[in-house]
Amino acid sequence: MFSTVLIANRGEIALRVARTCRELGIRTVAVCSDPDRESAVTRFVDECVRIGPAAPRRSYLNAAAVITAALQVGADAVHPGYGFLSEDPDFAEICETAGLTFVGPSSSLLAKLGDKARAREIAREAGLPVLPGSPETLETVGQAKSVAAAIGYPVIIKAVAGGGGRGMTVVRDPRDLSGAFLEARAGAQAAFGDARLYAERYLENARHIEVQILGDGEGEVVQLGERDCSVQRRRQKLLEETPAPGLPRELADRICAAAVHSARELDYAGAGTYEFLVDQDGGFYLMEVNCRIQVEHPVTELVTGVDLVREQLRVAAGYGLSIRQEDIAPRGVSIECRVNAEDPERGFLPTPGVVEEFSAPGGPFVRVDTHGFPGLRVTADYDPLLAKVAVWAPDRRQAIERADRALGEFRVAGRGMSTTREFLREVLADATFRAAKHTTGLVGDLKPAEVRRTGARRASCPS
Amino acid sequence: MSDEPASSTENTLEELCLRTVELIDATSGPLKSVRLQRGDTSIEVEWPDLARVTPPALDATAVPVPVADVAPVPVAGAAPPQTPDAARPGDSFVVEAPLVGTFYRAPSPGSRPFVEVGDIVEEGQQVAIVEAMKLMNAVSAERSGRVVEVLVNDAVPVEYGEPLLVLASA
Repeated sequence: MFSTVLIANRGEIALRVARTCRELGIRTVAVCSDPDRESAVTRFVDECVRIGPAAPRRSYLNAAAVITAALQVGADAVHPGYGFLSEDPDFAEICETAGLTFVGPSSSLLAKLGDKARAREIAREAGLPVLPGSPETLETVGQAKSVAAAIGYPVIIKAVAGGGGRGMTVVRDPRDLSGAFLEARAGAQAAFGDARLYAERYLENARHIEVQILGDGEGEVVQLGERDCSVQRRRQKLLEETPAPGLPRELADRICAAAVHSARELDYAGAGTYEFLVDQDGGFYLMEVNCRIQVEHPVTELVTGVDLVREQLRVAAGYGLSIRQEDIAPRGVSIECRVNAEDPERGFLPTPGVVEEFSAPGGPFVRVDTHGFPGLRVTADYDPLLAKVAVWAPDRRQAIERADRALGEFRVAGRGMSTTREFLREVLADATFRAAKHTTGLVGDLKPAEVRRTGARRASCPS
Repeated sequence: MSDEPASSTENTLEELCLRTVELIDATSGPLKSVRLQRGDTSIEVEWPDLARVTPPALDATAVPVPVADVAPVPVAGAAPPQTPDAARPGDSFVVEAPLVGTFYRAPSPGSRPFVEVGDIVEEGQQVAIVEAMKLMNAVSAERSGRVVEVLVNDAVPVEYGEPLLVLASA
């Protein structure tokens, strides 16, 4: 196993990775930006190197600074977490050149799957269903118009280099297309340094179902079940659960098998997620493949008992997977709620500030992944995620009650700061959600103020 | 999910996007940030200042002392103490590492250091190198002054923002 791992990330995921490293007896090194010098992870790890100022481009996205830090401390591997450099093929390649093991798929695989337009083609060739879309990237407004007309409205315009719900625009009316196209192009250039776009049919009332896979890089791939991440705002997830409720097991198994088939063809190494949209007729379509650990991985860990970060490290170190498909027997239900420093009443606008009160929930079958503490300064430079509250229970009804109980006892507050905590409780209480009839449109349908007024709408859960 | 632009602001937005794309196309080099605003129409484009050196302020903990207390320049060769937090004489300021890397006092092994304690340096004058990924990055004094202390030994790894030298304003 590795002797020293540098964690090229921040926040809760950096701490999450550091914890598994410590359990494996690996020395942990964090990198941090100026404002993160006194963070939860810098206090936890064995060593920390300050690599730049607050701006991500000069710190957590600065490959040269991260590699220099890794070489300074004598690290033999770099774990990239999620976001930042985690799916950057150039970064993976620089690691390889510098003699550092990148914990993740090879740079060539990252290049293939990170280009969302190319990933679509690879998936199509492997027999995975994809939504009708542009065969190549869109260069001009005129081209976008004709492609969109051929696909049929509504369409979703996506950045080739996008991901994590960012860099997407839905267009319902052909008259809005040119404005949306130009806006998306400027946005993609600014956010990802890559202005290329592609278009796909947009499914209005679909469910977001994704499959967690692990590959050993030599053709062996296992799946750890699916996750339902349909509770989203602006195409970013708020609440995730496994197994997918109300989804016929036979359909879920077919989706999982499709992901495994594709990952085998790619000799996938490490942890990955195949994201699908499932329509009301049971049709499923690949959206993208995420070549990293996901934010919502704890729900899979809670029902399978598999430490996904440990498997990532094992594969990267050449030990292969510790589990075979027949060892994976998911049990019960797990739900994760993302408590963000955002105001649901104002379109989930981030609310930076200083956390004055912070007391995380606990009790039976509650897992909280957080970097929060009283005094934590939440800035606009980074993701507003404060904590992931994940619970396990034998069935969905108990899991919902447990999640609500945990969110209820979570005390997190600061001047000027709002969180999604109460909104998540409204979701848990919503009749459509409880009946597992919800789609990605749920949050848009749940007008926060309205929900508050009709708060008594708590329905009995058919479980 | 209803974050589609309202039709009344559509034209402004489209115009804004067009202008921004033009602006980006017309320039070279990586961007630091782009900020669009719909309200009163504004575009902000920021480029990284690659030659960035020292943050202007000295340590917040440094206590200014009266001019009369300004100590004479220490004799060269004194061991560099690692006490960046201690009060510095007079109007002193710290040159910090602009990036993570290896600190070098001289342009090449065996050659004379860029500066010695007691030297007067001009604003913008190179005082050290921080090497990262085999790239030699010049570290310059942001203001003119007299070198009071070199805080880091030659060829030692430094992190971003680490105090390297103390200068007293000339």
